[in-house]
Amino acid sequence: MARSKNYQDPKLEEKLKDRKYYATDSNPDFLKEVEKIGQTIAHMCYQCGTCTGSCPSAPRSSYRIRLFMRKAVLGLEEEALTDPDLWLCTTCYSCTDRCPRDIAPTDVIMAMRNLAAKRDIVPRNFLQTVQLIYKSGHGVPNNDVNRAARVKLGLEAEPETTHKYPEYIPGIQKIIDHYELKAKADRLVAQGE
Amino acid sequence: MAEVNKKEEQPRIGVFVCHCGTNIAGSVNIQDVMDYAKTLPNVAVSDEYQYMCSTPGQGKIADAIKEHNLTGIVVAACSPRLHEPTFRNATKAGGLNPFRFEMANIREQNSWVHMHQPEEATEKAKDAVRIAVAKASKLEDLYPKSVPVEKTAMVVGGGVGGMQAALDLADAGIKTYLVEKTPTIGGRMSQLDKTFPTLDCSQCILTPKMVDVFRNENIELLTYTEVEEVAGYIGNFDVTLRKKARGVITPDEAEAKGIVGGGCTGCGDCVAVCPVIKPNPFELGMAPRKAIYVYHPQVVPLIYTVDFDSCVKCGLCVEACGDKKAIDLEMEDELMTVKVGTVVLATGYEIFPIEKKFEWGYKNFDNVITSLEFERLICASGPTGGKLIRPSDGDKPKKVAFVLCAGSRDTTGIGKPYCSRFCCMYSLKHAHQIIEKMPGAIPYIFYMDIRSFGKMYEEFYYRIQDEGAKFIRGRVANITEDPETKNLYVHAEDTLLGRPVDLEVDMVVLAAAIQPTAETEKTRRLFGVSCSQDGWLLEAHPKLNPCGTTTAGVYLAGVCQGPKDIPDTVAQAEGAASAASIPIHKGEVELEPYFAQCIEEKCAGCGLCVPQCPYSALALVEKDGRTVMQVTEAKCKGCGTCGGFCPGGAIWMQHFATPQIVAQIDAFLLGGEQ
Ligand SMILES: Cc1cc2nc3c(=O)[nH]c(=O)nc-3n(C[C@H](O)[C@H](O)[C@H](O)COP(=O)(O)OP(=O)(O)OC[C@H]3O[C@@H](n4cnc5c(N)ncnc54)[C@H](O)[C@@H]3O)c2cc1C
Ligand code: SF4
Ligand code: SF4
Ligand code: SF4
Ligand code: SF4
Repeated sequence: MARSKNYQDPKLEEKLKDRKYYATDSNPDFLKEVEKIGQTIAHMCYQCGTCTGSCPSAPRSSYRIRLFMRKAVLGLEEEALTDPDLWLCTTCYSCTDRCPRDIAPTDVIMAMRNLAAKRDIVPRNFLQTVQLIYKSGHGVPNNDVNRAARVKLGLEAEPETTHKYPEYIPGIQKIIDHYELKAKADRLVAQGE
Repeated sequence: MAEVNKKEEQPRIGVFVCHCGTNIAGSVNIQDVMDYAKTLPNVAVSDEYQYMCSTPGQGKIADAIKEHNLTGIVVAACSPRLHEPTFRNATKAGGLNPFRFEMANIREQNSWVHMHQPEEATEKAKDAVRIAVAKASKLEDLYPKSVPVEKTAMVVGGGVGGMQAALDLADAGIKTYLVEKTPTIGGRMSQLDKTFPTLDCSQCILTPKMVDVFRNENIELLTYTEVEEVAGYIGNFDVTLRKKARGVITPDEAEAKGIVGGGCTGCGDCVAVCPVIKPNPFELGMAPRKAIYVYHPQVVPLIYTVDFDSCVKCGLCVEACGDKKAIDLEMEDELMTVKVGTVVLATGYEIFPIEKKFEWGYKNFDNVITSLEFERLICASGPTGGKLIRPSDGDKPKKVAFVLCAGSRDTTGIGKPYCSRFCCMYSLKHAHQIIEKMPGAIPYIFYMDIRSFGKMYEEFYYRIQDEGAKFIRGRVANITEDPETKNLYVHAEDTLLGRPVDLEVDMVVLAAAIQPTAETEKTRRLFGVSCSQDGWLLEAHPKLNPCGTTTAGVYLAGVCQGPKDIPDTVAQAEGAASAASIPIHKGEVELEPYFAQCIEEKCAGCGLCVPQCPYSALALVEKDGRTVMQVTEAKCKGCGTCGGFCPGGAIWMQHFATPQIVAQIDAFLLGGEQ
């Protein structure tokens, strides 16, 4: 565990905080859980960086998939699950396609998000997405701009989805309710307000 | 021949249980197994020891034989592959025939796999001991057969490894056939420009060796020749070779045909007139050759070759050759058979088809090349006269990226799981060559680890870094191309900075993985050699017998056994040559006496067994007015096919005889009850 310097000034305490990695920071069960949920051999990562080099998020953010792999291997649960970067993966699977160790880093991220969600750590936009899907069947619902564009291209204004067949929305709601996801999203969004 | 109907003697067996430190004793209760052995029929004594293979352990066996007048020995320990010879010697030292020994494997097949089940492991060990005792009670005296060894050797593959092995064998006074499938010896090393870490010119150090091979009186050099068939066994291999039609005869061959002063002199007059143009594989297709060709000017032997696949038989070359009459466009393949005592395989490697990793764009982007192509481009005798140029426009590159581990250390299935072992070092060499030859040019080395493990290799790494090479720690994710400029963008993560890189360069060199050659599988089957999972030829033991194979009389040298650089290739070649010369210098080898024997009283002379034998070891003969089967012991491999087949039960498989095997099965199924 990081040692406190006992500065009186909280700003100074934060600035000069102990950043060493201690064996006690590691929770070995974290790696096991990530591997179980993600169904991938995260512990075989040799830190080559092919994943980050392939990642469309990396050049635009501080998100480094390789570092999450490292944190999985070392069991740095707190650091991984509380890092907002965890939510910057687009799940494009480029890293999974190219990883020379045949690991699925994408699925490691998904596993970590699952674990974070269990601890109610989910960014607001993700919660709102849940609410939108519950309501419309879409994370990104159709809108007037899209409708106009579709008509211009000779398509029907609404696509062949719940937009055209809203009678299927109750089915989707049933699935989401089964996992109590909507209730959770509502609760967390309300808490945040 | 062994006595088949032995006089009944009451067997007296000694059982010795080994602890192997804690390897066995960690999960098997040794005392229990030992006490149990005492209760078994025919067991006269049972004992245990920390390490049965040690001198005191072996001493126990020899002493017990004398003290208890034993007729058979059982050691319950490791695998017979490891210590059967050891305990046979101990049995012999005690005055028994060494084949009166039987081993129960309670380590590899027991304690190591049942590490966490001590009770079950102990029960299984008792089963193994009981079965071994049953067999030991029925063992008989056997005598290995000595066969004379042909005083000649063969080396397959004329790269630096094969050449070194042939030279050593020849210098040891052994006539050696060096078989090379291409028209010249030299292998990959003759394609290289310089060699790390000393940077000697590859051809300059190789050519003298090639000439030595050519001149050595004990070496019969057979280029453009392949192995067609192999029969026989250690000491007596009959190898059939296919001398491919070369279309050109040597001065010696000309003389034999009575053409005075004829044969190929290597003048090259034929090349000038040949109308057919093909890519030269030696230059990796980057330079042309004619249908009549040599790979390069230093080939050995300096004899031209006609590529009959592309020759149009216009006959212009024959005219140009004139009185030398060296060219014969009607030449056909010839088969020849040679007898050799031992064989060294040195068939080398090829480059993994790196275009399969399509993210790096090889064969798609003009300016992405492989390291072997780099060697040819930077070499003064190469297709560009040693000028490194971009294939797209012939410009000199100013920034060159090197992609290490390209296809190596890759477990995706598209690529090779192993480290190709010399790419780190030759890429450092390439970086040096760029800095030296092209002032201002910068090499960027994308790496995961720099493996500079050899003598003076780390120092070489230091030197290249000092010269200005840039090292970026990160495996290249992908490469993109600007379709206008044909410049390349290398995408990776600089893992030490923790930032993605996008580096624009003029050229990319892929340090592509290597793999066993396409014909390795065929060659290994011909010689009965195994391969490891990744296809490289398998040594007899990775540490203690790295040059031998599991086929007696066949040895390995160079990269065909696994990736290795020139120093390691030459070292292994010398080891293989030494190992291959031992049976030849001994003059005879002992064969395990596991031969089939005909019980003549029972043999009906039906001959049905004869075609069953995969090694043609059986024949019908006339004996005392009857037709009976006879085994050529030296040919029999003891596979047991005939023994299991004979309808009259007239074939006795020594050391694996029916009563012995039945006793083992009974012991297992009946749990020791009779
Ligand atoms: C780009 C590159 C650069 C390198 N640079 C260096 C360096 O600087 N220093 C260094 O130490 N090492 C270097 N190496 C490694 C070096 O090439 C090998 O260590 C060496 O060539 C191994 O020799 P070999 O005899 O085992 O195999 P090879 O050179 O491959 O020779 C095998 C020979 O066997 C023949 N053959 C194959 N199959 C058969 C068959 N069935 N019948 C008959 N003949 C057959 C082949 O035609 C060939 O002539 C480099 C390798 C590469 C790819
Ligand atoms: S590509 Fe695979 S092995 Fe390389 S750093 Fe990423 S997860 Fe690890
Ligand atoms: S799946 Fe996620 S981590 Fe992987 S490359 Fe795509 S965005 Fe990056
Ligand atoms: S030698 Fe170096 S470049 Fe080649 S596979 Fe091994 S680590 Fe990679
Ligand atoms: S045991 Fe096998 S090799 Fe020997 S003679 Fe019988 S069939 Fe042939």
